[in-house]
Amino acid sequence: MNRFALSVSRGISRVTDSALGPYQTAVIRIGFSATWLLFLLREFPHRHELYGPDGPWSRDLAEQLITDNGAFTALMWWDGRFWFEAVYALSALACVLLLLGWRTRTMSVLFMAGVLSLQNRSIFMGDGGDNVLHLMSIYLVLTRCGQVWSLDARRAGRAREARARGERVVDRTGPALWGVLGLLLVTVTLAGRLDGDWFVPALLWAVWLGQAVWWVVGRLARSGEPRVLLDVVANIVHNGALFVIMAEACLIYATAGWYKIQGSRWQDGTAVYYPLHLDYFSPWPALADLLTASGTLVLLITYGTVAVQVAFPFTLFNRRIKNVLLAAMIIEHAVIAVVLGLPFFSLAMIAADAVFLPTTFLRRLGGWAERARDRLVPCRGGRAPVPAPRDGKDAEHARVGFSA
Amino acid sequence: MESQTAVTESQSGATESRGGVAAAREGVAAVRDGAVDPRTGVAALSPRYQIGAALALAVVAVAVCVHIGLTFLHVAPSNTLTKQHGAVMDEWIYPEFEQNWKLFAPNPLQQNISVQVRAEVSTADGGIRTTGWYDLSAQDGRAIDGNPLPSHTQQNELRRAWDFFVATHDSDNRPVGLRGALSETYLRRIAVLRLDRNDAAGPRGVVERVQYRSRTVNVPPPEWSGERVSDRPVYRVLPWWTVPAGETVGGAA
Repeated sequence: MNRFALSVSRGISRVTDSALGPYQTAVIRIGFSATWLLFLLREFPHRHELYGPDGPWSRDLAEQLITDNGAFTALMWWDGRFWFEAVYALSALACVLLLLGWRTRTMSVLFMAGVLSLQNRSIFMGDGGDNVLHLMSIYLVLTRCGQVWSLDARRAGRAREARARGERVVDRTGPALWGVLGLLLVTVTLAGRLDGDWFVPALLWAVWLGQAVWWVVGRLARSGEPRVLLDVVANIVHNGALFVIMAEACLIYATAGWYKIQGSRWQDGTAVYYPLHLDYFSPWPALADLLTASGTLVLLITYGTVAVQVAFPFTLFNRRIKNVLLAAMIIEHAVIAVVLGLPFFSLAMIAADAVFLPTTFLRRLGGWAERARDRLVPCRGGRAPVPAPRDGKDAEHARVGFSA
Repeated sequence: MESQTAVTESQSGATESRGGVAAAREGVAAVRDGAVDPRTGVAALSPRYQIGAALALAVVAVAVCVHIGLTFLHVAPSNTLTKQHGAVMDEWIYPEFEQNWKLFAPNPLQQNISVQVRAEVSTADGGIRTTGWYDLSAQDGRAIDGNPLPSHTQQNELRRAWDFFVATHDSDNRPVGLRGALSETYLRRIAVLRLDRNDAAGPRGVVERVQYRSRTVNVPPPEWSGERVSDRPVYRVLPWWTVPAGETVGGAA
């Protein structure tokens, strides 16, 4: 009983005292924002046809469907070409800033608003990749995903150094950003543009008010306790959201795997042959023919795919097997990107997979990226402080999928 | 109550004797602040604030469990629970958490469905001309061939619009509900857009009506399988639809 209580208490302090998986959340932040950014850039010439007011899925059609399902989309707030172009451009801008980790929480909200606005405007244009981004953009809002590899982390480091020197650090950008976005939020709420489904508007208001409380408490609270409590609450929400992100990735694989098991083509070992011979998913027919020339090879890939997808959630309890399967899935998605012509779906899935990568690997990756950057841009002043390594015990835990 | 006291006590115990939790906390604090800040975490709070933290933990824990549970039921096959509580589930899942991960499952599609369209065009001299069939899917396929970054307009637009039509119509092509009507308008607008790109109306001609058909043909089974399937195409022909006067062509024309 004592040991049980002890482990419960350790568990509680784990999920309340820190925002777990700082590198994992940073890498998915970068992954998802980069995927959506590249998608927006690639579709720039087609943006009107996909999401514009005069596209085949016209504003009128979208309005009828959205009145029916209540989905969130800022594109319907105002009519006209200018607003559409503005939303598209702002969505891309939010991607860049989220990727860099500038005002990460605010940018994650704008990133979500951009993704949902465009996707919900024309739901029949999307595929599985869009679906992954849609969900993850919502979950990302609830995480503290800018703890490392971000401009925010660098700014926090500099502010700390300045305070150590006894200087006063005043942030004007944050309150200004908060004020502008608050004005927009109040305007659209009063104008009745958020009268659809309650969830996303509630999330927007919660984050906006939460930031106000955070700022006020940080400035005014006499004792440190309210600030610590807010920090604890933010950690709890972060850890909950991180767990949901991992569970979501597991659900994706489990669903994809368990439904495949029921299919006769996955049973007879020919399934992989067929998508490779669909006109819509065969950009390189010669390559597809080469891959499917051997029945044995197709059988192995077919069975292997099902086995990996079904097994993955269970392997999270064993670090080594989990990492092997993770590598296999990332490679498979890279192949799918090329062979089935689904680059953005694959990028989104690889970004989701990345949440399970071990901390040691991610830190090494960060080191390489930093060296590459220094080689490209030599003699930079004011380098970002490299976060101190966590002690061995904790790092070991972090490598196990679920507790990371 | 007993266990709660145990939690509080053992927490300080763990901090002192084992050092693991404290070390972990220090590690993370170091990540965040660059220096060890002892005043973080629940342990730094007075009981009054600890209740607040416990409340937050309980709320988040319940929310996480409920969300994952409902998402699981949403992606699971129809079962006892989903039949009993379908309305509650849908209330939470739709519209923002809707998802479908039956990727090429239970079976991958084994047919190539070509969506084709033709038009009735009123010509400049006052006559009416019917165009030949334009194979829009084949045009998409050609745009995808050798393309490392296929656009959603090529890979998803027509394909999913057709799926949407099939899902919202009965076998006699009669629309079912609001979505059926929406899907017809959508397909008609795609037709106008694509016909315009093909310059189907010709100089000063106007597209008056459009007609869709689909041509479904089995993917030939792999040579090594020894299987045989029919290679005869199956057609589904939709009625003619009148294009309303002044229906603008898609923005990207």
